[in-house]
Amino acid sequence: MGIQEQYRSEAAALLSSGEVKLIIGFGAGSTADRRRPLFARTPDEAQKFVLDAACIANLSTYLVTEGLLSDGKKVAVFLKPDGIRSVNILISEAQLKPEQVVILGYAIDNAEVTPLEGRKISDFSISEQIRSLTPPPHILQEAERIEEMSATERFEFWKEHFAKCIKCYACRQVCPMCYCRRCIVDVNQPQWISTSSHTLGNFEWNLVRAFHLAGRCAACGACDRACPVNIPLRLVNYRMGKEVSDAFDYCAGENSNQKPVLASFKQDDPETFIL
Amino acid sequence: MSEPFEPKIVAFVCTYCTYAGADLAGTSRLKYAPNVRIVRLPCTGRISPMFILKALQKGADTVLVSGCHPGDCHFTAGNYHARRRWTVFRALLAFTGIPEERIRFSWVSAAEGAKFAEMINDITDETRKLGPFTQYQELQKVIETQSSY
Repeated sequence: MGIQEQYRSEAAALLSSGEVKLIIGFGAGSTADRRRPLFARTPDEAQKFVLDAACIANLSTYLVTEGLLSDGKKVAVFLKPDGIRSVNILISEAQLKPEQVVILGYAIDNAEVTPLEGRKISDFSISEQIRSLTPPPHILQEAERIEEMSATERFEFWKEHFAKCIKCYACRQVCPMCYCRRCIVDVNQPQWISTSSHTLGNFEWNLVRAFHLAGRCAACGACDRACPVNIPLRLVNYRMGKEVSDAFDYCAGENSNQKPVLASFKQDDPETFIL
Repeated sequence: MSEPFEPKIVAFVCTYCTYAGADLAGTSRLKYAPNVRIVRLPCTGRISPMFILKALQKGADTVLVSGCHPGDCHFTAGNYHARRRWTVFRALLAFTGIPEERIRFSWVSAAEGAKFAEMINDITDETRKLGPFTQYQELQKVIETQSSY
């Protein structure tokens, strides 16, 4: 029995026993190589689940939908290790209750899908895996290339990219960490960020987005894939993750008990730049 | 004839230490560059990175953020939290090409009036050498010309 059938029957069992009220997984997409989120509430619907190497989206973003978990019932969700990592972060930020999430874990290695042991978040110890995780080589190379540029060149590089931004906020919509009910860009009194899509407003939006994700990003790359104008958002996220790891030895989403990096401190944190 | 460049410096300071330090510089009759505009806030922990961005958006050439020395915070830990935030924000600005010399951070206690005066003079001189932050200010100009349609 393949992993897809195994998970279909497990999903059906979860729903028919009434253990979970909803299962978030993947269904067939509009083309052969795309998958679309599928929300199953009955055992019959669970038969439509698809699980293969094209299931790369991070479905944990649906867990923070407003009101979804307020009835105290459980929800099951198909997650890769990066999705499990974002669930860890969400729990540590008190956005999810660990007992409400059932995880149907899987990993994709070289186009092969393997199941992950465990159903509760505490079953997964992904800490070592995350520490050793490196971003794709092209991201690393690009980040190094930018580091070597002069400040002016860097500014021009990002100006060019951010000028393309159309402020569709797809990056915010798709990100499991962007759960604020009212995003800072939607606040108009005071209005911190210009909402029209000119380069300065785009610059500010992207800086703020990156800053708000610093030390919280699970590196799932969803923002990067969602961006309709191909701004390399992963690059900034990667750089921010590197900074918190270098400066504070912090790695987001290692477990669900860690304190968020910017909500905690050590007395001997580095401060070389302060006069 | 173009006027000589006078830097615009915005300083976000906490009321318990750096603002008191600036006050001491004043009462001690220490002279320092008049280019600085001081914004007083309850604590460095209150200083959101949005303030820095807004100051740049409104034409600041250099932004200074200053508060109590570690361990001296009126609210016990506000400056420790701020320090982490600055470390990350500074890295972000550096990565996106906003020169590090444009955003300064410092600890100035209520007793360090002389340090405050000297620091403002230094920053003003250095900003004068750097010149106006036209790179960023040009982005703002684009908006102004567009919005006149």
